[in-house]
Amino acid sequence: MGTARKLKKEVLDKGRCTGCGFCVDFCPYFKVVDERIGLIHFCGLQEGICYDVCPRTPTDLPRLDQGLFGRERRDPFLGDYLFFFYARAKEEEIRKKGQYGGVVSALALTALETGKVEGVVLTGGEKASFPTPFFARGKEEILAGSSSKYSAAPTLAAFHTARREGFTKIAVVGRPCQVTALRKWQVSEKETSPEAATELLVIGLFCFWALAPEFYRFLVTKVPPEAVLKLDVSETAMVATTKKGEILIPLAEIRRFIRPACEECFDPTAELSDVAVGATEFDPGWNTLLVRTRQGKELVRKALKKGLLELKSPLPQKVVALRQAALQKKRRVALALAQEGGAYLAPSQRYLAQVLAGEVDQHGLLAYGSS
Amino acid sequence: MGFLPTVALDQPGKKVFLSGNEAFARGALEAGVAYATSYPGSPTAEVLEILSALAKTFNFYVEWSVNEKVAMEGAAAASFAGLRSLVVMKCDGLNVAFDFLTSLALAGTKGGMVILVGDDPGAHSSAKEEDSRYLGKLAHIPVLEPADPQEAKEAMVAAFELSEFLRQPVMLRSVTRVCHAGGDVALSKLQRINRLPFLDREERFITWIEFHATAETKIAQAAAWGENTPLNTYVGPERTKWLLITEGPCFYYAREAVVLLGWEEKVGILKLGMVWPLPEEFLKKHLMHAEKVIFGEEVEPFTEENVKALVAQYGKQMGFINFYGKKSGHVAGPAGPGLGEMNPDIIMQALKRIEEEEQGLPVPQEREESLVAPGELPNRELAFCPGCPHRASFWALKGALELDGRGGFVLGDIGCYTLGKGRTGYNLLQTMHAMGSGAGLACGFGQLSRFGFNQPVVAVGGDSTFYHAIIPALVNAKYNQADFLLVILDNETTAMTGHQPHPGTGLRATGEGAEKIALEEIVAGLKIPLFISDPYAVDETRAIIFRLLQEKGPRVLILRRTCALIAAKTKKPRVYVDPARCLGDACGCARFCSRVFACPANIWDEEKGKAVIDEVICNGCGVCASLCPQRAIVVEEAVLVS
Repeated sequence: MGTARKLKKEVLDKGRCTGCGFCVDFCPYFKVVDERIGLIHFCGLQEGICYDVCPRTPTDLPRLDQGLFGRERRDPFLGDYLFFFYARAKEEEIRKKGQYGGVVSALALTALETGKVEGVVLTGGEKASFPTPFFARGKEEILAGSSSKYSAAPTLAAFHTARREGFTKIAVVGRPCQVTALRKWQVSEKETSPEAATELLVIGLFCFWALAPEFYRFLVTKVPPEAVLKLDVSETAMVATTKKGEILIPLAEIRRFIRPACEECFDPTAELSDVAVGATEFDPGWNTLLVRTRQGKELVRKALKKGLLELKSPLPQKVVALRQAALQKKRRVALALAQEGGAYLAPSQRYLAQVLAGEVDQHGLLAYGSS
Repeated sequence: MGFLPTVALDQPGKKVFLSGNEAFARGALEAGVAYATSYPGSPTAEVLEILSALAKTFNFYVEWSVNEKVAMEGAAAASFAGLRSLVVMKCDGLNVAFDFLTSLALAGTKGGMVILVGDDPGAHSSAKEEDSRYLGKLAHIPVLEPADPQEAKEAMVAAFELSEFLRQPVMLRSVTRVCHAGGDVALSKLQRINRLPFLDREERFITWIEFHATAETKIAQAAAWGENTPLNTYVGPERTKWLLITEGPCFYYAREAVVLLGWEEKVGILKLGMVWPLPEEFLKKHLMHAEKVIFGEEVEPFTEENVKALVAQYGKQMGFINFYGKKSGHVAGPAGPGLGEMNPDIIMQALKRIEEEEQGLPVPQEREESLVAPGELPNRELAFCPGCPHRASFWALKGALELDGRGGFVLGDIGCYTLGKGRTGYNLLQTMHAMGSGAGLACGFGQLSRFGFNQPVVAVGGDSTFYHAIIPALVNAKYNQADFLLVILDNETTAMTGHQPHPGTGLRATGEGAEKIALEEIVAGLKIPLFISDPYAVDETRAIIFRLLQEKGPRVLILRRTCALIAAKTKKPRVYVDPARCLGDACGCARFCSRVFACPANIWDEEKGKAVIDEVICNGCGVCASLCPQRAIVVEEAVLVS
């Protein structure tokens, strides 16, 4: 265990904070304003859960994999999963409000309406300014939280609020770093107070980067925030949709706002979630859906049964492309972290070797270099 | 005339119990004061409060002025028009008014004008212990100093008479112990002076170099007056070798020490009721026989220096005298020469030491334990009152600065929030000087970015302080575009000195209504970006401050919440800890409420290992409830207090 002071020194002061928000409001000492998280006072405690659960403190991946999937991951690039689908919400209303196929909303709604959870931790708010984390307890609220945000909302702060209000069955829609924090916390909570364990359903989001708070200051210079109906990212530009049309901001201008912590992220596809949802990168009407755990499978089954979701098979070449993208990111990060010697991850040697030496062949499968 | 408080009884000869401050007010009534002004400051803040309550009945004018300089200028104007006027302030206030005073003393006055200055030896309710006697001397005006409430009244009347005789303002210096002590005061007749204020077109009050000589002449006249005033006294044997020269409350400490030692026949005590200029003949008469002269005075060795100079002046007549005081270290304050208050113990030990030295006995290096004072009193930490909005403001400020992370800092000012220098304000204040100096310093820091300075600068100051001295700094900030955030800690009163009204309260000294001069209107008039927040809403306030730290140029945030001591008089919700929800040390908050936020009402039950609220002192603000991570603190619906 580490102290809050250590967390500040190793993560916050080094710009490694992902902005996940788990430490925020967990105690009175971590606070957030406009996506800047800070330790406002040293609590003085010799050991803190804050240090344990931070996604950028040492993380024992094999152990987390083992706990969640009962085995070491079979797919070194996308993490363990049971099914790879394309999916979309069946209801047009949900699809319209969603970023792509509305799958997150449909699944969240399924979890709520089947009584699996009492509410869903989401982010809402204006499209072109700091999103607001909140705890959605009805369909309206869930739909208010739909569509992508491109900055690091401290969503998990709302998870704590929900727990404090006495909720014990909670779904969280979160970025990969947030999923990691939740899983680390589950391990530590099981150790400290097994009787109080929260029933947690984790809907992970694909995420290759999030933008720093300064991004919104920049965005204001391009488009009035209140006019933005939707933000999206294409291969070359950020697209702000307004009533009057689309405003394109070249990605080159956006990239400088990527949080440093995201450059160190090893997990673009929320590998520790129950289900992970992302874009298809070619069809805005559909999502990629990775069903990872048994709990995730059950959720998708219920969504289909309720008629909230429809599925289809993915395009093989797009699966390959996703694997390739994940591998590239992992390799970059693995190399950088190895150089720094301050790796927060503790992957197995075998796994690291796979990432550093492996290739993705045309079938999207792992192949080793000829040497 | 309806019911009159004791201080205003029209019963000459009757003895009543009055505090020193009441006695000063009584003295002003007996002298027929027509015009009284003040800016509140301890230890003399009550004087104008007492006069305010009597102003209507006795038909004189009172005013809480926005600072001591305008207060003194107003009083001077009344004097120029022939009225008797009084201006009351603390020592720090005299510095504010001093530019005017040094001019006034050359230009002279007409109606009796008294400047009552409260010094605070030991700084009980001040930031520093300044000795105003030097300022009186520097300004060429007489300085009187009473020793008890009876003398406070007598000295006030005498000061008016002397002032009118000299056509010069007279300073009345008092210290905390005299202002706040109580004693029997024999009343004299209440004087009504009905003068028609008038400034003759031939009369001039002009400060000019040639009047320096006039001022010196007046001081010489004052010295002559001092030879006969009953304020200067001597008790003891006719011709004594041991002469203790004292003034103010030190007279009583000296007498107590001499009596306890049984040295009444050995030591004579000379008390100066007029400390400047010196009554030379009166002093010479007693110095002539003295071989040992001991000084009992508070703070600086003012009289010691003046008497030594006098002895040097008349060396031949004086003979050889040994001096014992602050300079020799014999009569040092508890923390050293020139520091702190005197007491009988110090004087007694000084006398014993002088005796031992004379007999060639070894002198103990350490001061003995107290011979007369009771045992140690428990220490009480300086802290904001329970529910004080400043505590919440400082917590929000600290959070915002930490979140910002660029090493931003806070410049302090004078008011309750001065305590922010300590633990109760999370040690945030890094500078603290005079009224308005926080904003003034911020003007300087706010220009340093051109040299690569990147730290956010925050100045805090209170509402009353804003009207007093922050406005010029803010105008300067706007004019020169200084980069800083001014946080006005607006508790809607002058809290530190006892809730006196100010221009923002909509009330005047006598309680009659005045048109409010809102802080925000002044700031808006300067076209400086302005925000207002409730400090009790800590999260929102922290966010606002954080965002304002990112901006450039001057910015103002008003944190507005009525002083908890006033608010609790009308509405006081019950706040308590739900023991079922408080997790104690298992929480992980590390006793946030009682240890870190540290409102005096947040305490820790060692036996149960849980937080509790001391409901006796809690003012019901509920801020701790909003900060408890377990939401274990419950705020009940507010109950109206009748």
